[in-house]
Amino acid sequence: MNELELRLEELGREVAFPPTPDLAPAVLERTYRKPVAWGRASVAVALAVVALAAAFSIPQARTAILDFFHLGGATVVRVDTLPQTTERSHAAGLGFPVTLQEAQRRTGVRLVLPPGERPSRAYVLGDALVTVVLKAYGKAVLLSEFGSFGPGSLQKLVAQEANVETTRVNGGEALWIAGPHAFEYFGRNGFHQAPVREQGNVLLWLHGDQTLRLEGPLTKAQALELARRTR
Amino acid sequence: MVDRPLDEAGLVERARSGDLDAWETIVRTHQGLAFRTAYLLTGNAADAEEAAQDGFVKAYRAFGRFRRGAELRPWLLRIVANEARNRRRSAGRRERLALRAAAEVRPGDAVPSPEAALLAGEQRERLLVAVERLPDDQRDAIACRYLLGLTEAETAAALGIRAGTVKSRLSRALARLRETLEEEGA
Repeated sequence: MNELELRLEELGREVAFPPTPDLAPAVLERTYRKPVAWGRASVAVALAVVALAAAFSIPQARTAILDFFHLGGATVVRVDTLPQTTERSHAAGLGFPVTLQEAQRRTGVRLVLPPGERPSRAYVLGDALVTVVLKAYGKAVLLSEFGSFGPGSLQKLVAQEANVETTRVNGGEALWIAGPHAFEYFGRNGFHQAPVREQGNVLLWLHGDQTLRLEGPLTKAQALELARRTR
Repeated sequence: MVDRPLDEAGLVERARSGDLDAWETIVRTHQGLAFRTAYLLTGNAADAEEAAQDGFVKAYRAFGRFRRGAELRPWLLRIVANEARNRRRSAGRRERLALRAAAEVRPGDAVPSPEAALLAGEQRERLLVAVERLPDDQRDAIACRYLLGLTEAETAAALGIRAGTVKSRLSRALARLRETLEEEGA
């Protein structure tokens, strides 16, 4: 490096750059905003769902287990109270956005969707859970699908006051959860998403060897109707 | 300059799998250089912040196309710098760079006399003005390569040109700077 180049390098150390703003919070929030294709209102609802899931994390200590249910790869555990929640510093979320084709390639999940629904993006969490954002009854809902590679891959902790009912979808077993609960996911190869608290209602059901989970502000009748059409 | 994390490949894999902690670590690791690169190309802090933010969001969405084993920093810089160049084209004009007010006495340096400090300050100012007067393509190459301390490959990525073009632009820019400084007796 010649003298002029050395002087230029030194000059670089003397330039008055403005202080770097912390970009991470805005980047993390925006990471999930644009892929949803259908209009501002729906995007806002979708974000609210993610934000609710992201706003809290639950300490590892568990309270007394009162009951539990298994369905495919999901286990629903009723506890006397949900553990205390703490606020997280960033958005936890649905996973990495990819095309539907890529999501299926990465996870081995054969995505089933309601007729007419073809979202542009799917979100992959770990290496086995795929989530798409759908619009149903004018509301944004999340449909997650994963292979049933063992009970407890997906755990739901539900509070005493939450309603857990067994029901049926297309002749198969299903579970309907309404009320406060938390979601925790253990993927293959040691992947783990720490528990996040959820506010929407959830329907869990089986489709072949896959476990499906519908989450959102739907009534039980609406969720069942949507699940019946998802094949 | 921010140090590269020890296990960048591992972080990238985790981020690609949807691990937001890993993605947050990547953003925080590279945001300083990304912002400064965008600042040098746009010429103002507000546009630079927007460009860097948009660049990171686009990079996350494009992670599927990131080649495994490739270096992350040039790839991120290419995306951020592209955003910055688009903003400069629409804004049309950039603010002048300025030097820090404080003199550059570093630990271990002999303290210069007031006259020597003044002279050194004037020389730096003349050099900065000469850099600013270069044609945009040469000025950007000098800014990325020397003011930011990027490698030639990173400069090429940031400017969206080939490494050979970086070399030729730098060569022309250095010759021009020498000529200007000689004329001014700096």
